[in-house]
Amino acid sequence: MEIFESLFTISSVTPDRPWGLNIPNYFWFTGSSAAAFIIASFAHVFGIRKYKPVAGFSLLLAFVLLVAAPLNLIDDLRQPGRLFNFFLYGWDHFLTSPMKWGVLLLMAYPLLILFEALLLYRTHFVHKAQEASSALARGFYRLMALGNMRLDEAALQKDEKRGFVLGAIGIPLALSVHGYTGYILGAVQANPLWSTPLMPVLFLASAMVSGAGLLIVLLPIVQRYFSPMQRVDGDMMLALARLLGWFIVIDLVVRFFWLTFAMPFAGDSGYTLVEYFRHHFVGVVYVEYLLCLIVPMIIVFSPLAKRVGWVFLAGLITAVGVWLFRWNTVVGGQGIGRTATGFLEHTPHWFGPDSITAIMANWGAFIAILAIVMLIFPWDREMAEHYQGEHHGKE
Amino acid sequence: MDEEKKSMKRRSFVKGLSAWLLASGAAVQAQAFSGKIPGRDEEDQRYVGQEGKRFGMVVDLRKCVGCQACTGACKVENKTPRHHFRTWVAEYERGEYPAVHKVFLPQLCNHCASPSCVKVCPTGATFSRGDGVVMVDDKVCWGCGYCVNACPYDKRYFHPQSKTVDKCTLCAHRLDSGLLPACVESCVGGARVAGDLNDKKSQVSRLLAGFSTAVLQPSQGNRPQVYYIGLDGSVQNQVRGTVNLDDLARMRDGKPRREWQTAYK
Ligand code: SF4
Ligand code: SF4
Repeated sequence: MEIFESLFTISSVTPDRPWGLNIPNYFWFTGSSAAAFIIASFAHVFGIRKYKPVAGFSLLLAFVLLVAAPLNLIDDLRQPGRLFNFFLYGWDHFLTSPMKWGVLLLMAYPLLILFEALLLYRTHFVHKAQEASSALARGFYRLMALGNMRLDEAALQKDEKRGFVLGAIGIPLALSVHGYTGYILGAVQANPLWSTPLMPVLFLASAMVSGAGLLIVLLPIVQRYFSPMQRVDGDMMLALARLLGWFIVIDLVVRFFWLTFAMPFAGDSGYTLVEYFRHHFVGVVYVEYLLCLIVPMIIVFSPLAKRVGWVFLAGLITAVGVWLFRWNTVVGGQGIGRTATGFLEHTPHWFGPDSITAIMANWGAFIAILAIVMLIFPWDREMAEHYQGEHHGKE
Repeated sequence: MDEEKKSMKRRSFVKGLSAWLLASGAAVQAQAFSGKIPGRDEEDQRYVGQEGKRFGMVVDLRKCVGCQACTGACKVENKTPRHHFRTWVAEYERGEYPAVHKVFLPQLCNHCASPSCVKVCPTGATFSRGDGVVMVDDKVCWGCGYCVNACPYDKRYFHPQSKTVDKCTLCAHRLDSGLLPACVESCVGGARVAGDLNDKKSQVSRLLAGFSTAVLQPSQGNRPQVYYIGLDGSVQNQVRGTVNLDDLARMRDGKPRREWQTAYK
């Protein structure tokens, strides 16, 4: 340390940094969406029966998260009115700018989930269209049924097959959509915290944690208050809790590899990282790791996992913890000085673009879109049907 | 029969329509839509630069006295906004009493030969001219800030009025009319020398040939084209030292915190 301390900065320009609250929030949304999609695919693609009751809801959740997520990006642009410039110019940077190809993935993925969901619930929309009294409603439900009003065996089989194919394409797409967000940071070689090929993997691993956490938070609420069952499926909560536990284990393993290489074996940037983690010690070690990963991991692998309240708590703190990880990575990483010495601190403002209220508005939009989607799609009826089947419903 | 005819008709209409769309799409693609930015498509000289040249700078640190004449000249010439600078001279104190000396580090955009800012820009607003000058088209930039994070030298900022990225252009507007950059022109010690690196007789080329030079943060792989004579090793890479005194002074004076500011504990 002495050698560093013998350099005294008398004057230098404190640089500004471009990314504030919006970006970690965006990363959290896309990540959780990818995880919700994967959990839905457990049932839709891999045919794991255990997850059937939540598969529909999880798929819709993945869609809504991905509709709300890009709003953060638009808010983050200093010139949002120039959205079109993205499509008109800069294609010669296609291979070197992860933002360039990432946005294409970002547009394809929600469309794919939407089509998968429409296929999944097509029967319902056909019935609705048949029952509808006004021409407008009929037209709307016809559209939701993708214009296909046939309900015979062959048509249904075709739906299923198409749904399977979409789900199967969706898995790599979901992974790439979130992987690219990690890629965006990993490609910034100027930032010692971000610049690692592990960044997309790290992002995916923690995304699984936050997505499972979010599902664990939302499921009991919707089952208890918005579904015909009016009660929480304890078995499902236990299954999700254990799943969350394994996601945390994977996340911790990836982070172990990251940190144990990035600090001692990374050349010059290793010293910067040691200083960085020393600077953020309490927030990272006690809050992000101990409180938000280790403690919930213990809860979900212990007998407490049979208690819905405890699982809910574990889900909540992991979801928050992953948000903090995104924040520490995006904002903390930008805090590392390049021309300035020491670390920069970010003080978000309350109003305007990229502010605390903007993030709250984004969450508001997420909840509103979720409510609308939950009203239109018969996820609740589908969920209840699964519980009437042989595998669930008895305790 | 009628139905069939109708459907045939419809099909041929759809076919015709898609053929028309494809053809017009291809035409647009070939003419206007090169996927680059308008300035480069039109081969506007301000965008393509001076053919055959490669601009760069050599800063002779033995001659720099830290007077900030360049900082001021740039501010006036380019009308940079308050609190923002395209170039500045950082000032450090090295060692401990009585073994101390001062280090001045004039810095500006390095007009890198392999610029990470250009690579990541999704709109193409940031680009290198043919003569190596790295520019931002403020009519195209959508303000995503990716380049600001990608530059290892912190040489980009958001202009509060244009709401796009701004940075040193090596005074391309002056170079294009045969003048020198404002910072070079105003440098009292003659420490800053700019010119054509391709011209072996230019002053920059002769300095590069005659002295051992170094660039900032060579391990970033950006191949900077601003070279330093007499560069102190302690400031060549990411600087580690005491925090910025300007920000500490702000704290002492009880000034409101800026959005991004040096952290103190
Ligand atoms: S110094 Fe920074 S802004 Fe200038 S060309 Fe290099 S990477 Fe780009
Ligand atoms: S802020 Fe502007 S110049 Fe920078 S990467 Fe984004 S679009 Fe390109």
